[in-house]
Amino acid sequence: MICKELAYMLADYCNGTMDPRLREELDDHLSRCEPCMAFTKTFRATCAETRKLRETIEYTIPREVRERLEMFVRSAVLKYPEKVNEYREQVARDRREKVLKLVRAATAGTLSSATALLMESHCAACPECSGYFDAARMAGDHQVTDPPEGIRSHVIALMQALPPGEEFFLA
Amino acid sequence: MSAERWKEDEALLESLRKGTPDAVDELLRLYQGKIFNLAMSILKNESDAEEAAQDVFMTVIRKADTFQGNSAFYSWMYRICVNTCLMRLRGKRRNETVSIEEFMPVFTDEGMHASPMDDWSKEVERDALNEELGQMIRKFTEELSEKYRVVFVLSDVEGLSNEETAKILGLTVPAIKSRLHRARLYLREQLSRYLREGKAG
Repeated sequence: MICKELAYMLADYCNGTMDPRLREELDDHLSRCEPCMAFTKTFRATCAETRKLRETIEYTIPREVRERLEMFVRSAVLKYPEKVNEYREQVARDRREKVLKLVRAATAGTLSSATALLMESHCAACPECSGYFDAARMAGDHQVTDPPEGIRSHVIALMQALPPGEEFFLA
Repeated sequence: MSAERWKEDEALLESLRKGTPDAVDELLRLYQGKIFNLAMSILKNESDAEEAAQDVFMTVIRKADTFQGNSAFYSWMYRICVNTCLMRLRGKRRNETVSIEEFMPVFTDEGMHASPMDDWSKEVERDALNEELGQMIRKFTEELSEKYRVVFVLSDVEGLSNEETAKILGLTVPAIKSRLHRARLYLREQLSRYLREGKAG
């Protein structure tokens, strides 16, 4: 081992995650090389000082900044609770609609190939969903209504697993 | 991450989602210091950090409902903070930063240390130096470019794991490790020079 290598391996050495054989080699070098010993000791000291800083750091936020920030956030929340609620409801509605569309497409067999594949492999491992979709297919897609919560959360997870830009449905 | 903080976060998220009246107070109590400091360490300017913190809290409150819970709440919030700050920096003229290369250890062609090496590790153990060193570390950290500064602050000052930091910044763990190591090497060298000059003066 040379000094240069040692300098770039110090992180693992200092936090104890280094491979034991490599560690031995490094110790051996250290015992023979004064500059590296000094380098290592001061590197350790630097890390220790930073840790001390972490322990003593106070999350100081100037009082007037704190007061302004609190006032801003509180008044914004007070002023716009309807807006926030509206937004939340919109998000919930959009999501419910998306889930329903996907369940209908799954029942009618018009899912895109990527989504169909995800759905198939999920159903193979999930008796709850495979039962639900089998029954839905038997009943026909015009019968489908909002699925129960358990199914819903699985469908949502499935939609999120889809690569971005991928369409759920066949055109 | 302590189990206690985890529980506190879970409860907070739940009450934010329900819109409990105390939720916002609790959010501010737990996080305004941290978020403001994180924003300060990236933006290095009080009024910018204040505006960024406003944006962060509004985003968190608005989006608490759609937060997926596949990462920890605080790391989601830190990520919003980092993104908000970096977006603010983008439009601005860059702050003056030092070049980290000038502080990397120098080696001969054979890979040996090219300059003499002082061992000041015993010196800094004196309590009297504590406060001064803390201030110097902060100052030197502020001079780093944000690429290193953000990683260093999240890992070594906030005490997050490399995995958590990687997730927040959208980088790989090896990239985090390498930036962190370079930041520490830089800091070691800065402290060396500072202590040497102190002695000479």
